[in-house]
Amino acid sequence: MITFRRTIQIISLILFLTLLASAISSAITPTPLDLFLLLDPALIALTAISGRIFSVAFIPALLVLLITFFFGRIFCGYICPMGTTLDGTDKLFGTTRKRKPEAGKLRLLKYIILFFLLGASLVGVSFVFVAAPLSLITRFYGLLVHPVLAFLSNEILSRVQPLTEWLDMDTLVFMRIATPRFATQLFILAFFGALFFLAKVSPRFWCRNLCPSGALMALLSKKPLIRRRVSDDCTDCGRCASSCPMSAIMAENPRVTLHEECIVCRTCQNTCPENAISFDRVRMEQVSEKQRFSFTRRQFIVSGLFGAATATVGLTGLNSLHGKPGPGQVAPKGLIRPPGTLPEMDFLARCSRCGECMAACPTNTLQPIWLDAGFMGLFSPGLNLRRCYCSPECRMCGEVCPTDAIRSLSKDERIWAKTGTAVIFRRKCLAWEQQKSCMVCDEVCPYKAVEFRKEPGNPVPVPQVREEKCAGCGYCEHFCPVQNQSAIVVTPMGALRMSEGSYIAQGKSEGLNLSITPKSGYGPQPEGRDWGKGFAPGFEGDESGSE
Amino acid sequence: MNRREFLRYQAKGILWMIAGGSGILLPKRLIAAPVTDIAVVKGAPTAATRAAVDLLGGMKQFVKPGDRVVIKPNMSFPAPPERASNTHPEVIRELAVMCKEAGAAKILVLDHTLAREELCLEKSGIRKACNPISKKMVFALSDERFYKTTDIPKGMSMTSTDIMKEVLKSNVLIAAPVAKSHSSAGVSLSMKGMMGLNYDRSVMHRRYDLHTSIVDLCTVLKADLTVIDGTRVLSTNGPRGPGKVLKEDTVIASKDMVAADAYAVSIFEWYGKRFKPGQIRHIREAHKRGLGRMDVENLNVKAIDL
Repeated sequence: MITFRRTIQIISLILFLTLLASAISSAITPTPLDLFLLLDPALIALTAISGRIFSVAFIPALLVLLITFFFGRIFCGYICPMGTTLDGTDKLFGTTRKRKPEAGKLRLLKYIILFFLLGASLVGVSFVFVAAPLSLITRFYGLLVHPVLAFLSNEILSRVQPLTEWLDMDTLVFMRIATPRFATQLFILAFFGALFFLAKVSPRFWCRNLCPSGALMALLSKKPLIRRRVSDDCTDCGRCASSCPMSAIMAENPRVTLHEECIVCRTCQNTCPENAISFDRVRMEQVSEKQRFSFTRRQFIVSGLFGAATATVGLTGLNSLHGKPGPGQVAPKGLIRPPGTLPEMDFLARCSRCGECMAACPTNTLQPIWLDAGFMGLFSPGLNLRRCYCSPECRMCGEVCPTDAIRSLSKDERIWAKTGTAVIFRRKCLAWEQQKSCMVCDEVCPYKAVEFRKEPGNPVPVPQVREEKCAGCGYCEHFCPVQNQSAIVVTPMGALRMSEGSYIAQGKSEGLNLSITPKSGYGPQPEGRDWGKGFAPGFEGDESGSE
Repeated sequence: MNRREFLRYQAKGILWMIAGGSGILLPKRLIAAPVTDIAVVKGAPTAATRAAVDLLGGMKQFVKPGDRVVIKPNMSFPAPPERASNTHPEVIRELAVMCKEAGAAKILVLDHTLAREELCLEKSGIRKACNPISKKMVFALSDERFYKTTDIPKGMSMTSTDIMKEVLKSNVLIAAPVAKSHSSAGVSLSMKGMMGLNYDRSVMHRRYDLHTSIVDLCTVLKADLTVIDGTRVLSTNGPRGPGKVLKEDTVIASKDMVAADAYAVSIFEWYGKRFKPGQIRHIREAHKRGLGRMDVENLNVKAIDL
């Protein structure tokens, strides 16, 4: 029987996946694409603290907390895609029904995690990515499930191609499903593999023991307005206690509820043979509800201090870019952040590593990085321009970012949001080193930032980067025909990283001249090129033509 | 172009052809010879395309009923027609219409685009132009499953490459490039355009000599008909542009890829100067290797103005 709760859960999961799929296919939806991320209480609360920001976009998470205060952890039981997924996998892989009393102590872990993260956030460092449920589940579906499904669909299309060709089904014959590839997917696999396996210890192991959003909501739902009530019809049979997926009912006394653990799933109500259980406004206290696993003030403080200490250690890391930019700041050499990324420390304080930007990136250039930016930058997004270029017309990453760690830009501003500058490695370049006809970098550059010129003694034209015209989009790096490391590489040099203000104004003040459109249709020759000496690249001298 | 204009161009074209054919008016460059090697027509894209192919004897010379036809345009860049980075949509559409009239069973317009497939198909305007004929006609194929490793028996440097399966399956290949400059190949016309039908073109820059491997590729991808769109010519800054666009209103057609390319090199201005076909090495090599003829002065060129 599909209960009311299951229906809501499935609808919610489908909505979550639809929004993610819309982000992946750059579709426009009436609902914000990052809606679910904005509902995650711990993700939003901790980011607001670490980033020292408050945005109207954070109101949904506040509403969730408000609802929790009055109605208990409804979010966990009905809305959270992580909870629904775990309910599904618990069913799929089987879970234990054995109640282990010591498992109860594990529940403290989630508070420890929450206060650890809070301590770090107070120092201005965001570690939410290790535990915020919506960040994790978005990565799971966006960076792991989607690529696998796309890969399999493409394989199937390829296998059935003889059949579709025979049936003349051209749409299927020529259909290609973009298959993204991601770094760190083995981590996601291991992490979720472990979570699914932990169902063997208890159902919803994550939600009971680890989830910091669960912990935050638990703190607010010790005594919600609407809560489980047991009438005097109760015979203490204990069926409710053994059926509770959260072990929120005391085995010794089924009349006692740990409301902060209760996700209002009402399984107990359906199980009770005496119909003694209701969820209702409580008019009077029936049973003294003493807290069995209480969290002491000392534990609060200690875990908070540990979080703050870890964050401080992180801030003293070699790659940590706090303080004023200047000599001695060891910025990661090859790390290109997406266009519109805030200055590094602000960015790291806000980025929840949910992977939504990477899933939404249509060219798959946006990748989670491992330790390129130190421990503090773990799983944050970076452009892999060898994989693909970053399209100057595309603004998806800024659109979907729930915490505005990547700014949402207008079309014109986007073109000026410089991510780096291309540098040519002459020793690898076919034209410079091997004197071969190759101007692929010039051919593909949408900003016309690659120029070619004649070098004495070299029969072919050689490329050269005009820095003030280069936005670091990486078309050149992606298409460079040299193997492995490209002969033209975008470096983070000159990237515009601003928390506010116009990229166009800033770029112009720095002497940049970024444009991807010609001045007019039948335009004059672009400025800055010297045609005067009769140089026509690719053409040979008169003598060779006369033979 | 509206219908009236279109009809006017058509009528003009027919009249000129009757005039030319009956010998009342001999086009300037016409040398008395039974076969037209190169047809050159000045006019609007649609009408000039039809007239140029008709001067070669009509599409039925190339396409027999039941044939599978692949048309290879330039549509590698997300740029509108006026930028001259891609073939004019109307040229492609008219070619497709003529193939259909000749009884082709299947017509595909295929390219391996550099930029994102969808973006190129949309911005080039080619898909939209061909939609009235068939919605399943214009495709950008980037996935490796659409390609098959193929030997190049006459290859001097490149002896094998992955070629689009649909091209291998077809009976007729029509090269329909735009006339444009190219920073490494000099010009990008029908021969250079064949690099849009193989899978990995980077190897042609990296491992082989670009010009020699272009000729190698054309020994297996020899177009049955070449129609060069010179309605707009990207005279500088090719192949992507933006560069100097010349409004030439010219369509060149030939059975001989090399001759068509050679003629296009000789009649248009490149980088503000005039060049001979032999100054483009892949054209010169193709001529030497017998793929076609670049000595356009010895060929029968029929030129008309609509």
